Amino acid sequence: MTWKSPVALVREALQGQRAREKDLRSLMSNLPYEGLEKGKQPNRYFPSNAIKTTKYSLLLFIPMNLYEQFHRLANIYFVGLAILNFIPVVNAFQPEVALIPICIILSLTALKDAWEDFRRYQSDKKLNNTPCFIYSRKEKQFVERRWKDVRVGDFVKVVCNETIPADLLLLYTSDPNGVCLIETANLDGETNLKQRTAVSGVCNSFEPESFNGIVVCEKPNNNLNHFKCYEKPDNQKVGAGIESLLLRGCTVRNTDHAVGFVVYAHETKSMLNNSGPRYKRSKLERRLNIDVFFCFILLFAMCLIGALHFIWLYALPGVPPYLVPPANGHLDSPNLSSFYMFFTMIILLQILIPISLYVSIELVKIGQIFLITNDIDLYDEETDSRIQCKALNITEDLGQIEYIFSDKTGTLTENKMVFRRCSIMGTEYPHKENIRLAVLNEPESEEEVIYNQDLQPLPTGWSLESEEANSEDTHRHGSRRKSKVLGTTQSDVAFSSPLETEVIPDRKLLQQISRTGSSSRCQKIDPYLEFFLALTICNTVVVSMATTQRRRPLTSDNLRYEAESPDEAALVYATKAYGFTLLARTPDSVTVRLPSGEVLVFEVLDTLTFDSNRKRMSVLVRHPITKEYVLYTKGADYAIMELLGTPYAQRHLDCYAKEGLRTLCIAKKVVSEAVYKHWLVERQRALTAIDNREVLIMDTAVQLETNLTLLATGIEDRLQENVPDTIMALRQAGIKVWVLTGDKPETAVNIGYACRLLEDEDLVLVIDGRTLTMALSPDLRGDFVDLAKHCRSVLCCRVTPLQKSRVVKVIREKLKVMTLAVDGANDVNMIQAADIGIGISGQEGMQAVMASDFAISRFKHLKKLLLVHGHWCYTRLANMIIYFFYKNVQAYVNLLFWYQFFCGFSGSTMIDYWLLIFFNLFFTSLPPIMFGIMDRDISAEMLLGVPELYKTGQGEGDYRFTTFWVSILDAFYQSLVCFFIPYFVYQDSDIDMFTFGTPLNTTALFTILLHLSIEIKSWTVVHWVVMLGSVLFYFIVTLAYSATCVTCNPPSNPYWVLQNQMADPMFYLICILSTVVALLPYTFHVLRNSIALSPLIEAKHLDRLDPSMREEWMKEWRSYRGGGQVQRSTLS
Amino acid sequence: MLLKLGGHCSFQDFSEESCHGPGSDEMVQEENEFTNRPDNTAFTQQRLPAWQPILSAGIVIPGFVLIGLAFIGVGVALFVTSRSIQVLERDYTGDESGTPCASCANSNVQNSFGFCFPQSQGPVFFYYGLSNYFQNYRRYGTSKDDNQLYGVLKYFTSPSDNCAPYAYNSNNQPIVPCGSIANSMFNDTFKLYQTVNGTRQEVSLDGKGIAWWTDYNIKYRNPTNNPLKDAFNGSNSGLFYRNFLINPIYWSKPAYELDTSDPSNNGFVNQDFLVWMRRAALPDFRKLYRRISQDKYPDGLPAGNYSLEITYNYRVYRFSGKKKVVFSNVSWMGGKNEFLGIAYLVVGSMCVFMSIVMLIVYAKFKFPDEE
Repeated sequence: MTWKSPVALVREALQGQRAREKDLRSLMSNLPYEGLEKGKQPNRYFPSNAIKTTKYSLLLFIPMNLYEQFHRLANIYFVGLAILNFIPVVNAFQPEVALIPICIILSLTALKDAWEDFRRYQSDKKLNNTPCFIYSRKEKQFVERRWKDVRVGDFVKVVCNETIPADLLLLYTSDPNGVCLIETANLDGETNLKQRTAVSGVCNSFEPESFNGIVVCEKPNNNLNHFKCYEKPDNQKVGAGIESLLLRGCTVRNTDHAVGFVVYAHETKSMLNNSGPRYKRSKLERRLNIDVFFCFILLFAMCLIGALHFIWLYALPGVPPYLVPPANGHLDSPNLSSFYMFFTMIILLQILIPISLYVSIELVKIGQIFLITNDIDLYDEETDSRIQCKALNITEDLGQIEYIFSDKTGTLTENKMVFRRCSIMGTEYPHKENIRLAVLNEPESEEEVIYNQDLQPLPTGWSLESEEANSEDTHRHGSRRKSKVLGTTQSDVAFSSPLETEVIPDRKLLQQISRTGSSSRCQKIDPYLEFFLALTICNTVVVSMATTQRRRPLTSDNLRYEAESPDEAALVYATKAYGFTLLARTPDSVTVRLPSGEVLVFEVLDTLTFDSNRKRMSVLVRHPITKEYVLYTKGADYAIMELLGTPYAQRHLDCYAKEGLRTLCIAKKVVSEAVYKHWLVERQRALTAIDNREVLIMDTAVQLETNLTLLATGIEDRLQENVPDTIMALRQAGIKVWVLTGDKPETAVNIGYACRLLEDEDLVLVIDGRTLTMALSPDLRGDFVDLAKHCRSVLCCRVTPLQKSRVVKVIREKLKVMTLAVDGANDVNMIQAADIGIGISGQEGMQAVMASDFAISRFKHLKKLLLVHGHWCYTRLANMIIYFFYKNVQAYVNLLFWYQFFCGFSGSTMIDYWLLIFFNLFFTSLPPIMFGIMDRDISAEMLLGVPELYKTGQGEGDYRFTTFWVSILDAFYQSLVCFFIPYFVYQDSDIDMFTFGTPLNTTALFTILLHLSIEIKSWTVVHWVVMLGSVLFYFIVTLAYSATCVTCNPPSNPYWVLQNQMADPMFYLICILSTVVALLPYTFHVLRNSIALSPLIEAKHLDRLDPSMREEWMKEWRSYRGGGQVQRSTLS
Repeated sequence: MLLKLGGHCSFQDFSEESCHGPGSDEMVQEENEFTNRPDNTAFTQQRLPAWQPILSAGIVIPGFVLIGLAFIGVGVALFVTSRSIQVLERDYTGDESGTPCASCANSNVQNSFGFCFPQSQGPVFFYYGLSNYFQNYRRYGTSKDDNQLYGVLKYFTSPSDNCAPYAYNSNNQPIVPCGSIANSMFNDTFKLYQTVNGTRQEVSLDGKGIAWWTDYNIKYRNPTNNPLKDAFNGSNSGLFYRNFLINPIYWSKPAYELDTSDPSNNGFVNQDFLVWMRRAALPDFRKLYRRISQDKYPDGLPAGNYSLEITYNYRVYRFSGKKKVVFSNVSWMGGKNEFLGIAYLVVGSMCVFMSIVMLIVYAKFKFPDEE
């Protein structure tokens, strides 16, 4: 290395900074500079591909971790107190002893962080050393390197089924059409293949060394579906977007190999999307903080009382021998020593602010999340996925939900589409055969309405089954299997049907086609033919060969359709049933086989892709026979209707919608060559623009999509399994379920009935997007919320994602309720607006899942997640927190406080310091944590069987303002008992300090543990071990400590104290009496609950019966309670 | 996320098999296929067998009755025992008239007063008592050096900082034993006389074993120097003392001369010193002074007139304290204490009473399990 002046280094650093911050980056090939030192590299400012997700380095771990931990106020508070203890005039303990708790807590957290960081380090190392191919000029070929060696400006070759190491601009593929297929499952969970095209102008005969252009791209961002750049080979700009970008983490499929230019290394889109777990504050925690504040007030008051020291000092007639002056030999003035005493008291009573509470809550939540993610009922076999908890600290909020906002598509429904009906030129083709097929699959649906018949299909994986199946025999009658669904009332038998891929043609329509098919030679444009051609062409379905190992249904031709959205696949399969087979699709052409066997190759001039604003997509092709420019458009009915040149009767569409079908309209337009040419120029300009490109592209799309001619079709989206059952249960649990959907009102209402969201006697509000906008206006908002409050359910139709999130926000703010949003696709806004966002990982986009707090795979999982885990997590945590406050106030703080009245407010403790600290840290810390993780007030079966029990957690729930104060009062009472019974016994005797403290400490331990024992609702082995273990541990440690420590801990010295006490019968008599008297009122409090029998207690009684009896009781109880009359009650 | 299927393994096979009960092959396959499937154990599925007690009337009422009865029994035993203990207390502060030693505080050092003692039922313990004396005061309590008291010579010359300002005197001479507790040791002495036929007979008092055994044998130790004096006055030839050691400033005699009659009762292991060093928990306390020696009075102190001769050294007016002497015999429950017995009786009766009330209440609110 040559020596560089500091100035040069700084300049270099600044340049790098500037280069990275620029909105546009110009990148060059590294090849001409190969082998040169780093300073000469053109792309040296951009980070290399080696990733480092670790937070710490080995050397700096301790300071960095401490720095991080001291961001927590509680830690600073406790360190402050420990430091205060080093000041001789105010110290209460020996300084070193006071450091123990904070040190233990800091080191526990540090250990946890270190372990997590080490795991990150290991996975980084593995990833960084994955092999890949980079072009080397020296060797004139691609050579094997590691991922970490990839730099911006390199040329990287990826081969089939390999993971892409960095964000690559696709320049060349083995495919003659310059197409590369990638699977983005690792990134967003979507398993369909996405097509990427090589940047035009560079493809075909591509040699890395001859690449001499500059790639100008935007600054890295985390948007997975968006990228812009252009390339300047020789003064001419070639634009490229996301369709030419291979993203890091994706897998190459169906393409032998591809070569790309590295645009982003390290700052790749997938890396920027890695935001780690989110931290939300739960409602309970917000409440808790208020109570901690009260604790501060309490502490302050108690310390002030301690500072009354001076009154006591003034009352002394002289200087008694026990009043020891400081080392200088002169007594402080009473006022000054009172001032010091205030701080001494803070140190002494510091545990009133429960530091261990925060640590315990964290541990409890880790435990709760462990149990939730390990629940086998929340595991989905089809996708082999468990529930994912992304937000780590809002588990207890699950138990307090009052409003659920749900999307429809992909959430309530499978988002697996089946072609159902179509209407062409005003003629309806009902496809009755399809219905019959569906009925066949559903033995018990005879009396049901035709479109709602398969309410309980189980997706055991149509894709799995079709693996080995030929299309001829795919009418398999649902392979039965025992589902592990908990609910005993619902059907255990599930069906899987290959409905999606299979459409039986409508006889009448088939006749029409064969008639026109035979006459198609006459070149006359036939509407039927056009309809199917449009369906076949106007999509982005990719045809893939069966060679790759992927689970997709195969057609008889060994064709496999990879669609970005399930409705497209449904349509293509439908056309195939009618003989219009999509054979191949390249960026430039579509190959279609007609029923007659004729193969047509359409030249694709442009594809106007789908976006959520236009709600439609178009494909512009050149007809191979007529040579006309034809635009086929497909989209949501209302999105097409407004563009129609001729008005069209809505009749069929409305009728479809009423049947719960999702309607799509297909339209076409013939474009004259002149118009096309004109439009093409604008389009080109829009494509190369880097600012505002989306808007421009959309504008051009809109320009062309006018004056269309309509053809129509209907598709069905099936409900997911157990949706009606889940919704029923949620409603019984007192949760209001709102469905917010972009569908038409008719469709929405129909789905509402299908999933039993709507029932005849209900007051239901159905509101559409336009009305909603008005309803949400500031002056009407209040009325709207009032109205909605009285409705059992609300259906919002035709709403945009933004409106969805506004609805959630309004309800949340106006009603001050806990809200939960479920979404299966891309409504990130709504999910983030709610208190809890739940994503359903389904067929379409996974953005919702990425943004969610919990990700589940089926809607039905919501039932157990809320009713069981929500209830448990909430009651566990609420009870644990209350108990914690009680515990700290009772044992540690108040006993010491009362003693101050008998030791001249001097800050003395009657218990050895070490034992005092151990008491909180070891003897009584484990039971509440175990309680918070494992207690089970009511069995899961009971909670699922009687959803009304969920109501106990809603609103204020178990943890109320009064609960805190009642527990504090109880703690005060208990501490009075624990202190004054021994006090009166030992009054005026020859008892010494630690001997006096021993029964106090022991009684406190027993009271605390027995208090918890009354709280614990079910005793498992773990409970016994922990509780008895704590008692044993207390005695063993204390006995060992008092037996061994003669001079080890001066000046405090409890030598042989407990041994002496344990030989004295009085010790036991005092402990028994104090414990019993202390716990009496609490026992009565608990008993009161069993007089006025609360639903929870009643449920607990039922829980003890054997299962068959219990079921009968449950039924009886439900009918007796009328399903909704459960009062709220507390258990605390 | 992605389910990887290998070869010909198919879902169909699996599902058909599982209808008839899964074969072992399928089980293996299943494990391979569903890598994310959570373990189906009782612990992770929260199905551990559990005992679910419910506090219901059927348990609580009999429980209360039982507890109540047991408490009443214990209470009676305690109360009776406590009643049988005889206690005689005499205040000898001497700062107010009408007390046994009315002028003690103002007069000369030697005082005496007489009192009657009934026949005792067992060995009698002789205590001195102080009130309003905060031996539990924090700074006072830490003012000692455990290592010094353990007999480690190193700490004789450099006592712990805890002892300050009673670690060194103004001439920077180390104090042994250092600290405020030792310094403020109670130094009144008593002699008890029985008046038999007008003559005073000294009652022999036993000062052995009044401190904790562990204190005497383990916690406190004298240095091994022989004679003991060498260690305490600094004339130890084995060690070079830059400064001579001195007694605590309130002490009239050095530590090695606390008990001239018994050489083994000197230094740190002097019984009176040990009793004093064990700090009282509460501001009003008594400390064991002597036992009435059992050799001479095996059945306790006989009834009769006694007089107590007090060497009045300890001043208590600075903290408005009181001094007293207490004669008491002891039982298995220690000294006389009626509180505990009464408390047991009250709580026991309360439990019984409450169970009756509960019974009435439950009779009114019919209980589902009692239907």
